[in-house]
This record gives sequence, C-alpha cells and structure tokens, in this order.
Amino acid sequence: MKKALRGIVVLLLLVTFLLGAVGGCSKKASTKASEKVLVIGYDRDAEIMDTIKTSWYSDALIYIHDRLVSRDYEFGYQPGLAERWEVSEDGLVWTFYLRKGVKFHDGSDFTAKDVKWTIDTIKDPATGSPFRADLDAIKEVQIVDNYTVKIILNYPYPNLLFNLSNTAAGIHPANAYEKYGEDYGKKIVIGTGPYKLEEWIPGDRTVLVKNEDYNWGPEWMSNRGPALIDKIILKIIPDESARIMELETGGIHILRNVPETYVEKLEKNPDITVYKNPATKLGYLAYATDKEPFNDVRVRRAINHALNKEEIIQFVFKGIGEVAYGYLPPALKDEYLEESSQLAYEYNPEKARQLLAEAGYPNGFKATLSADNSSKSSKLAEIIQQQLKEVGIETRIQLYDSASYADMLKEGKQELFIREYSWPNADILDWFLLSERFPYPNHSRWRDPKTDELIMFAARRPTWAERAEAYKEVQRYLIEQAVWAPIYVPMNIIAVRKEVKNFKYHPWMLQYNDGFDIEVE
Amino acid sequence: MVPVIIVMTLIVFSIFYFAPGDPVSRIAGPNVTPEVYESIRRKYGLDQPFIIQYLRFMKSVIEGDLGVSILQERPVIEMIKERLPVTLEIGLLGFLITFLIAIPVGVIAAVKKNTLVDYMCMSGTLLGAAIPTFWLGMLLMYFFAYKLRWFPISGYGTIRHLILPGFAIGLTNAAVTARMVRSSMLEVLNQDYIRTARSKGLFEKVVIYRHALKNALIPVITLMGLRLGWIIGGSVALEIIFSIPGIGRLMVDSILARDYPVVQGSMIVLTSSIILANLLADVLYAIVDPRIRYS
Repeated sequence: MKKALRGIVVLLLLVTFLLGAVGGCSKKASTKASEKVLVIGYDRDAEIMDTIKTSWYSDALIYIHDRLVSRDYEFGYQPGLAERWEVSEDGLVWTFYLRKGVKFHDGSDFTAKDVKWTIDTIKDPATGSPFRADLDAIKEVQIVDNYTVKIILNYPYPNLLFNLSNTAAGIHPANAYEKYGEDYGKKIVIGTGPYKLEEWIPGDRTVLVKNEDYNWGPEWMSNRGPALIDKIILKIIPDESARIMELETGGIHILRNVPETYVEKLEKNPDITVYKNPATKLGYLAYATDKEPFNDVRVRRAINHALNKEEIIQFVFKGIGEVAYGYLPPALKDEYLEESSQLAYEYNPEKARQLLAEAGYPNGFKATLSADNSSKSSKLAEIIQQQLKEVGIETRIQLYDSASYADMLKEGKQELFIREYSWPNADILDWFLLSERFPYPNHSRWRDPKTDELIMFAARRPTWAERAEAYKEVQRYLIEQAVWAPIYVPMNIIAVRKEVKNFKYHPWMLQYNDGFDIEVE
Repeated sequence: MVPVIIVMTLIVFSIFYFAPGDPVSRIAGPNVTPEVYESIRRKYGLDQPFIIQYLRFMKSVIEGDLGVSILQERPVIEMIKERLPVTLEIGLLGFLITFLIAIPVGVIAAVKKNTLVDYMCMSGTLLGAAIPTFWLGMLLMYFFAYKLRWFPISGYGTIRHLILPGFAIGLTNAAVTARMVRSSMLEVLNQDYIRTARSKGLFEKVVIYRHALKNALIPVITLMGLRLGWIIGGSVALEIIFSIPGIGRLMVDSILARDYPVVQGSMIVLTSSIILANLLADVLYAIVDPRIRYS
C-alpha cells in the first residue's frame, strides 16, 4: 500500500514538474531577439541533402549551392558561377569562364576542378545519380586553366543551359565525398551559395545561416552581397490543415504549394498575400495507346472532345488554374505552341459520340480509369468518369498509392489514367514520348517513328531558337495524333505573411538572398 | 520473444516483397532511364529473390545490425535512436495523463455507483472512448493552439509542443481505462474482505484506497501493458498532425517510400518494446499484489 501511495506522490511530483516546465518554456530562447529568421513550411522532407544522389531534393540546396548558370525572373539563362560562356560554331564545344574570388563554405577557393568533379561524379555510373541521363550529351569536361572549363558534347545540345542551371547542377567542392565521407549529404553539405547548412533534423527542420562572405550574386539580382535575412528554417509540417494554421498564426512566414481550397480563406486574411502564377506543370488524361481501342486516333480524339476542361478546373481547383490545350505549359514561352488553343479539340460530346461511332464503338466501351490516391487525383477521376460517361465510355476508377501507381504503369496494366508532370523544360516530351523510353516513363505506350524523329531533331538543334521552333512542330504533331488529352495547367500558389518584405516571385526558386527581408518584433 | 520477432519480420518482409512499388522510383524520380534504375536496384540487392533478401536481412539483424536505409543511406539503428525517444516522450506523457484521469474518475464512479456522478463519468468516458485519437488531436490543436494560442500548433523541441499530443493520447486512453477501473472496483467492493474492513470500523476512505483500489488495479495494469501497442499506433496519426518527428512518422514515410530496412528495423524495436512492456506489467503485479510471486 505504501508503495502505491508513493507511486501516486511520484506521479504528482512529475506533473508539477511538467507544468513548471511549461511555464518556463513559454518562449524558446534558441534564437536571439535581433536575429532575422524566416520560416518556410513544407509538406515533406528530402531523404538525402545531396543534389547528386536524389531527385527529391530539399529546397535548402537551392541556397546552399550556386550553379554555373542562373535563371532570372523571366525564365532567362544568366551568368552564375560562370561569368560568361562561348559556344563553338558546331555547337559541340562550350567554354565557361568562371568567376574569381568565390569561396566554398569550408573556405576553399572555387576553381575549374570543382566543376569537373561535380559533373564527372554525376556522370559516373557508380554514383547512381538520377541526373546522369540529363548530362548524356556531355562527352567530357576539360580544365583549361583554374578559371576556364571546356565542356565537350557528343551532339549539339542547347538545353545544356537548362541542365546546368537546375538545382541538381549545384557545384560541390572537388572530392567532397572523400573529404567528408559518410557525413556528406547528411550532416555536411558544402556549396558556394548565400546560405550555409547549420543543422538538418530529418523530418523536422533544416536550419540555414547566411554566408557573410557572399558577394558573387548574379547581375540580375538587386542584392548581390550577403543576404539580409540571417536564418532560414525549412519546417516540415505533413498535415495540410496544420500548415495553414501555422501560416495564419505566424508560425511560418511563407507557404508554397497552397492547396486551391484554402486560397479564398487566406486571401481574406489581411496579414497574408497570396501569389498565383501559372506553373510549369501539366495535368492530363492519358491512355495506353497500344491497346484497343486507344490505338485508334478517332477514339483518342473522341476522348479529347468529351472533356469539359473548364468544368474540371472549377470542380477540382475551385477555378484556380488554366485550361491546357497543348503538351507544354504556356510558361515555357520560347517553346510553347501559341496556336495550341486553335488546334486543340474543343468540348463537344456530340462530336465525340460521332467519332466513337466511326471507330466502331457506337455504344461506347468500358475501361478502367487509374489515378494515384491523392485527394486531387481522386476528384479528377470522379469528374472525368462522369464526363466520359456522357459520351458512352463507362469507366471503373482504380486508385493507387504513389509507389504502386508507378509500378502498375511500368507493368503496363493501365488503360485510361491521370497524370500530372512538373518540369520547366520542353525535354519532358522526350521523357514521356520517345520509343526508347517505353514502357517507362513512356507510360502512354506511344511508339511512333515520326514522333521519335521530330523529337530527336528538336533536341539536337544547335541553337536555342531553332530548338524551340522544332519543339513547336513536335507539339503540332502530338495534338493532331491526340496522344494525350491535356486538361489543366495548375497555378503555383504561394502565401506570404506581412512580416516578409520585398517578396519577389520567381518561377523556379525563390531567391531569398535577393533583397528579401523580414520584420522582427 | 525471439519467435514473435521472427514471425513478425517474415510477415512484414513478405508484405513488402509482394506489394507493388519499390524504393528506387523514389530515389530516381520520374525521369530516369531503365539502366540507371536497374543499377540502383542492384546496388541495394533488390534484384535478388525473396528468400535471399530475407536471409541476408535476418543475418545482419542477428549480428546486431538493422541495416542501412535505402533512401537516407544511414544506419537504421541511428535513425531509430533519433526518433524513438520522441515517441516515448509523448507516450509516457500520455500514460501519465491516463492514470491521473482514469483512476480518480473510475474510483469515484464506482463508489457513487448509480448516482448522477456515476452516469456523468460513464457517459463522459463513453464519449472519450468513441473519439479517435487523431480527431481529438485536431480538436485540441484547433482550440488550444489555433484559437487560444496557448500552445504551438506543430513541431517538436519544447515541452509545450508535447502537451497537446500527450493529452490527445491520455484522454482517449483514460476513457477506456476509467471504465476498467470502475468495473474492477465494483467487483472488489463486493468482496468479503471489504465488508470485513468496513465492519472493523475503518474509515471509508481507507477502505477504498488501501483495501479496494490496490486490488482493483491488477487487471488495469494488464490492460495498460497491452495498450502500449495501441498508444504507439495512435501516436502515428498524432505525429503527422502535430509534425512530430517520431518513430511512427518514420514508419509511415518509409512504408510509403518502400524503404524496407527502416520499416523492418522499427517494427523489431517496437515489437520488442511491447513485449517488454507486458513483462513489466507482470512485474508490477508482484509489487501491487504481494500474493503473486514469481519463482
């Protein structure tokens, strides 16, 4: 009995202690009062803090590293760590002249050998880098002198600028893996960027501190020196409504990828500004084009005619988003085919039924409609099912978790299926539609010599302008063949609290070092 | 304990092996060539047959090595060491709250049997038992963090972060436990020795706390031991809602990404701790009830 009593006393003491601690910890004292800290909310964390080894990288890597080429606010390719570059007449030799006086976070100087090591490591099959294929065009990297690098290509490839400006192309110090061993990409990441990695607690938060020595920001930035904000915390909040509440109460200052359903509520909040810009994403309904009845172009066109895209956008995205006509998002201004809207198939269920009848399906047909199990995709599936039913196509919806979905597509079990891609370059068409990518990622199972020819021609034009023109031709052909049924281009929705000053929207990455500031109470 | 773990790993391993999807798609991203894809699969031995993969895994477990995460490329044991204490903190706080609520409520309801107080306690606990933990967590978050701003909405780091999830576990768990305490108390109160105690002229308080409660606690302790698994299960949802980097979230993330070694490793650790908790409950009997002796 005495023992039981003693137990109760111990419990009571513990409670008193806990309550006392609660009172004492009312404000966490880890940050100094004068420090400017920006907190950004994310739904999931990266697995590895290394641009070379994963395709799901943390946004922190945008600020930790610099790249040879930078991208300005207008989707233009501008000098980054390379001050300038030259391309030989035949488009095969690119010479990059590197910026001098740039230092890595570990104090070492940035030189040509760091560029070579980074590219060589990505290209080394033993690394298993997901970006290896992106740099396929590169034959070798030659060091001319400490500040000059020659990149020799296998074939003309103007898109090199895109690949070298990707987050994945962040420059690492030479021999980083040997130098830092197992910890590299976990506890240590070294770049030349405006922020350094202070701490990474996987699944919880990443803390970045500003690089005081930084003075090599690209010319197009208003602030080329050290950032104004002292610390950036990337905070992982997996639950959607918790993320919104954190933003409303000031627990986070910036939230990217705000769900459409919350936009109206946030726009009413005087403390929050919501920025909406067309994303470089495309949502579409695809089908296994090598299977009956989708191998018939009339059936594919009928499906295109059957979709009321405005209604879909209204129903799924509360009207936030744009109708997609072509195969690329309009934000890729150089390559986007302007006349897509005229060429595309308008909503016309009558015509759809007629085309189906011509193809030998006067009473329509039955098929499965697959999608991943996100709430967005299941809503899409629901309304698409309804619209297809109007023209006689009976579908059965099948939802998968993302890993099983990818597997199912690889095995080729799909009939009709919903996809959305997110990629700021026309070469996405290479990935999804070249015969050599069959059966994955060419999951619409499109093997067509004419498409291959058009795409390969476009991808290897010597100049950017010629490449853009050639990709327009690809799009004309794809629309004619109705390879997919493009549906929507979603918006990039970013919500920003009033404490953040000088916010500038950037289509690819928010440049927090470019004069962004934050008010501290 | 060992057979339980072997059966458990075999089940988890087969589910993963036969379920569609693999971790490589996650590492490689959507834009990957088949060659790169295959080379990553080979790197982690995912191209090997089931039995080889399983034996390889068990061999390293026996050697005390839970393997390396495919996605994070870090030792699983290290990841568990980071995450488990977080979950335990919430779980212990939840347990504490459970006891502090359940015992008084159960005792009062039993003593005041069939009065208004009893009815109120019992309908309250019925409600508590019916509310899912995650839903209660969301309600608590909405009122105490979002509306009243007494606590942070999400995250981990200070004790203030633990209070709401701790209460979410504690309250739902206390509801079930209080009902258990009540019925067990009622049973004990009808025993002859209680009548004897009363007829000795002891104060009612002494009868209830010294003689009745102690004996009534035995089944409650068994229940609590068994509830540990349930608490960890409930904390998975809470860890997601409150953005707490605990072992539950680690498991869910790893399951979705098909990161087999991490799921297996966490399952082994969790299974062992549940077995240990039940063992602990058995030991506690001996303390509470001196008649029970293990020889």
